[in-house]
Amino acid sequence: MIVGEFVKKAKKGKAGLEDFYVKLFKDLKRINQEYDCFITLCEEEALKQLENLPKGRLYGVPVSVKDALCTKGVQTTGGSKILKDYKPTFDATVIKRIKDEGGVIIGKTCMDEFGLGGFSTNCAYKVPKNPCDKNRVTGGSSGGAAVVTRALDAPHIAIAESTGGSISSPASFCGVHGLTPTYGRVSRHGLLDYANSLDKIGVMAKSISDIALMMNVISGFDERDMTSRKEKVPDYTMTKSVKGMKLGVPKEYFGKGVAKEVSDLVWKGIKKLESKGVKVREVSLDMTKYSLPSYYIAAMSEVSTNLAKFCGMRYGLELPLKKEGFNEYFSRVRSVGFGSEAKRRIILGTYARMSGYRSKYYLKAMKVRTLVINDFKKAFKRVDALAAPTMPVIAPRFEEVEELSPLEAYKMDLLTVGPNLAGVPHLSTPCGELRGMPVGMHLIANHLEEKKVISLGGAFNE
Amino acid sequence: MSKDVIIGLETHIQLNTKSKMFCQCPTKGSDEPNTRTCEVCIGAPGSKPRINREVVNKALSVALALNCEINKRMTWDRKSYFYPDMSKNYQITQYDTPLGFKGKLKVNARVIRIRRVHMEEDPARLVHAGGDIRSSDYVKVDYNRSGTPLIEVVTEPDLRSPEGARDYLRSLLSILEHLGVFEPGDYTIKSDCNISIKGGQRVEVKNVSGLKDVEKALTYELVRQRNLLKRGKKVKRGTRQFSPAGGTTYALRTKESEMDYGYIVDPDLPWLVLTNKKIRRARGSLPELPAERVKRFIKEYGMNKEQAHTLVSDKALADFFEDCVKGYKDPTRIASWVDTQLLKCLNYQKQTIRESKVKPESFMELIRLMDKGVITERLGKELIKDYVSTGKSPKELVEEKGLGTLSDKELKKVVKKVLKDNPDVNIKKDKKSINYLIGQVLRATKGQADPNKIRGLIKKEF
Repeated sequence: MIVGEFVKKAKKGKAGLEDFYVKLFKDLKRINQEYDCFITLCEEEALKQLENLPKGRLYGVPVSVKDALCTKGVQTTGGSKILKDYKPTFDATVIKRIKDEGGVIIGKTCMDEFGLGGFSTNCAYKVPKNPCDKNRVTGGSSGGAAVVTRALDAPHIAIAESTGGSISSPASFCGVHGLTPTYGRVSRHGLLDYANSLDKIGVMAKSISDIALMMNVISGFDERDMTSRKEKVPDYTMTKSVKGMKLGVPKEYFGKGVAKEVSDLVWKGIKKLESKGVKVREVSLDMTKYSLPSYYIAAMSEVSTNLAKFCGMRYGLELPLKKEGFNEYFSRVRSVGFGSEAKRRIILGTYARMSGYRSKYYLKAMKVRTLVINDFKKAFKRVDALAAPTMPVIAPRFEEVEELSPLEAYKMDLLTVGPNLAGVPHLSTPCGELRGMPVGMHLIANHLEEKKVISLGGAFNE
Repeated sequence: MSKDVIIGLETHIQLNTKSKMFCQCPTKGSDEPNTRTCEVCIGAPGSKPRINREVVNKALSVALALNCEINKRMTWDRKSYFYPDMSKNYQITQYDTPLGFKGKLKVNARVIRIRRVHMEEDPARLVHAGGDIRSSDYVKVDYNRSGTPLIEVVTEPDLRSPEGARDYLRSLLSILEHLGVFEPGDYTIKSDCNISIKGGQRVEVKNVSGLKDVEKALTYELVRQRNLLKRGKKVKRGTRQFSPAGGTTYALRTKESEMDYGYIVDPDLPWLVLTNKKIRRARGSLPELPAERVKRFIKEYGMNKEQAHTLVSDKALADFFEDCVKGYKDPTRIASWVDTQLLKCLNYQKQTIRESKVKPESFMELIRLMDKGVITERLGKELIKDYVSTGKSPKELVEEKGLGTLSDKELKKVVKKVLKDNPDVNIKKDKKSINYLIGQVLRATKGQADPNKIRGLIKKEF
């Protein structure tokens, strides 16, 4: 049942919400036991919410939230040990908007520590398993969100977050829809920062219409986030005809490093869209090869400053005091609290912004980023949207991931960092299976044109 | 002033805005620690800064008043370093694009070049319980100050003496007060003082409050460095702390090289854009500044240049003067009373006009008592001491002390008595001896008579 219909039913009092939620939490616990997708389940809080639920656009809808979003009074760890037991004093704007519309927060989902990873294997708590094959990774960093979306039969929408591909990657690997909106379309207030200039809160769901419904609720300007966009929010559920729409296929996204079987499946998807009246043409994104280094330098530079506050002074673990200075104490807390990928990115990011290297790395990455944005802008002068594979491969097995060097792991983001760096909206939608594992197709549009990818995704899944 | 001394100041001034720089907490109010705080100014994970336009407007007026060139597109930057007074472990400041640059300020006919004027946030206040940074066992943090807007005004190394540094600060302060962006007493002004002398390296004395202490710290440093060089020792580069109690400085750390702050753009804040129109409008609405006021005082009130400078160097004093002369025929008389008698008393009390109990109404009462001949000028100069220290109405003081000019009849009586007591003195024989007699009468009347009147009476008697 799509969520919109569930809401109608619930508003008529026919959803039996109380019984529904009792069963829901039974299912959630079972799924969690099987796939390890929640850091925190909010059963008590959810039942409390039911007592006085606003009859809004999400009335009665179970919503899972990536643990990177602050939830008032509910443990919010960002997937890190350093924030264990941290309970924010306020709700993220997105959470508040969902609650105000009658959505019920059911739990906080697993993620790579502070979003730093592409497989959800850099986890301080549990490592989620792929519901399509428990020996394979879920993709990341919003792995838990994809698992719940895939494994739960009941109506549900997941709030996830992407910096360089953290919605698309798990959506593709687990076979669900994942929308990453335009940078600034959704307020970041209350989001634990990874790289503030790249972080985007988005949505995962089992149907495109669920995504559209949630986007209607969470989008729009927020005075608490100065980077949020002021443009009016359209009704994303009112899709438009795709007939005559121009779809570009960037050749750089089908080249080296992308498995041929994956490319073939995506091409099949593109053909399907063509059969619905979409006009397909090849385009070029010349800056593609620079997006990966530019993304990682920008993201690491920013994250190395964002994580500085977790030092044991106001935020972060508390360790027994020794006779030592604050520098030594902070170092001890950070040594114990952070995982190795967080440490790696803090060190690399700090290096990239040191005087002497700053202009060579950080400032140059910023300049390249502008070129990448222009690259996309140029393409969108010719076409309405772009289509490409979301991930270059299907979900790898855990042992395969373990063997990857950090650089090889970063390269898996090849196809997702471009649109993330440019801040353009992109939707990953399942377009077939390879040996029982889902493959995702990326649909990418210009800034604030979420509606185009939602319409294309809708038409594709008709 | 000596040619071998090079001094440059970096002065931090708290702006008197209603709310803090990046949130809506008030800058002043309760002194109870940690009561004026919110998620933004304590750097809670997920919180985002929002720029307070009042800060930009006030800072812009300062940059314009200091004849700076203005950057029209500015980033906010993160200055990263670990210190317990910073909840985020980075400070939001302006690095690559300061608000103003290449300014100048004329101080005592010398032009001091202003390198830059930029905005930044004040960190929290550290309270070193039961001592100072060296002796205290533990430290408490009060976040009330955290996020208070500061402007930093940096000079080129154009100052040549500790007195010159103080004069520069006084001029700067007067400009700030005339702009209405700073209130001494309630808000602080602190300088990092850089001083080197020929043959030695640069030493920075951190965080010196106010004006007098800057002069003291620099004077101490000058002597210390001179002595070192005299004894054939080296003045090494380093950072020192001023101890107001002893008037001395002590080493904090020796810097082998510059601290590396790893500046990056703060991605939570959009570019700050100032249009030509906005800058023009700000320039147009600048109030009368000290330099213009000095000129006007000379022209309008017939003051000499020094008098005008003295009065205008303290805005409150200049305002006091202008309040006094309203509806009074002889501004020169007021100017000279303020400039000499009043300032003498205030200096003796170690008070500024703002701190004192002196008010225009009561001060003019004193002047009018003399004008009406109720008391003599001479008595006035005595009475003003009591007036400044107590703030009591001069009329009441006169009554309380039983002062006031003697009536002619009474005075005649005294003159007769003095002549009777000094039968040997004959002013006809010795013209100068009249001065002796006048002195005797004045003593007998405790100064309550006009010497000229006494002279007339004595002549008459002979």
